[in-house]
Amino acid sequence: MKTKFMLVLCVGMIATSVFSTRTVRAQDAPKRIEVTAKRFTYEPADITVKKGEPVILVIKSADVAHGLRFRDLDLNAKVDKGGSAELKFTPDKTGDFVGHCSVFCGSGHGEMTLTLHVVN
Amino acid sequence: MRLPITIIVAGCVVGLAGCKAAPPSKLESKTITFAKHHFFIGNKKEKNPLPYSHENWEDGKEAFSHYCVACHGMDGQNTGVPFVDHISPPIPSLASEDVQSYTDGQLKWVLDNGIRPSGMPGSKGTLSDDELWSIVVFLRHLPPAGSQGIPDIYTH
Repeated sequence: MKTKFMLVLCVGMIATSVFSTRTVRAQDAPKRIEVTAKRFTYEPADITVKKGEPVILVIKSADVAHGLRFRDLDLNAKVDKGGSAELKFTPDKTGDFVGHCSVFCGSGHGEMTLTLHVVN
Repeated sequence: MRLPITIIVAGCVVGLAGCKAAPPSKLESKTITFAKHHFFIGNKKEKNPLPYSHENWEDGKEAFSHYCVACHGMDGQNTGVPFVDHISPPIPSLASEDVQSYTDGQLKWVLDNGIRPSGMPGSKGTLSDDELWSIVVFLRHLPPAGSQGIPDIYTH
């Protein structure tokens, strides 16, 4: 009887630890979103994320050096020619935030924008 | 048949003579300056959404360095610009009273649209609104003349 009880207890503890680890991992794993910067555009140009959920924007340049800056969120990343960079953050306020290219990249630089929608 | 050709040649000579670039007279300058400040340059009342801060000033300096230095120099006062005395109308110092007496909104308008038929081009689309307003911050707090050196493009 005592052995059975110990067995059930052990199985229960193992199951609890496995499920709780999975839950923590699911909550903590940042959402990765790839963004391609190329010739005065971002692809995608609109991204929706949830407030309080960690995000990593992986910005890849398909041509010259670019950047992505959200002044309102105090975020800025610069990408070398053909390279990539990551913007890691957890949005703490809802709204629409417009990011601009932060590295001068040519005649259409001023119109190179990406809109981040942060929702509840 | 000879008469029309003579008239055409004479017309061309007169026309070419009119194309000679000469510095504007004082009266021309005053008239145009008044017209620009009061009629041609719009957006008089718009306020700069960016307050003065060191970060905004640095942003403005960087944005200015991408597009404006070729004609205005690193300091906005034409330092090191080799053709500054050879075009008409002349490139103004951005520290001058004529420029500084524009409102922030008017400076942004000039940055957006340029001033025709002078050589000042518009930057709308080439620089973002954010960058253009930061340039306005930079223009209001220009560094001392000559303190920023000569634009790289003129040192090679």
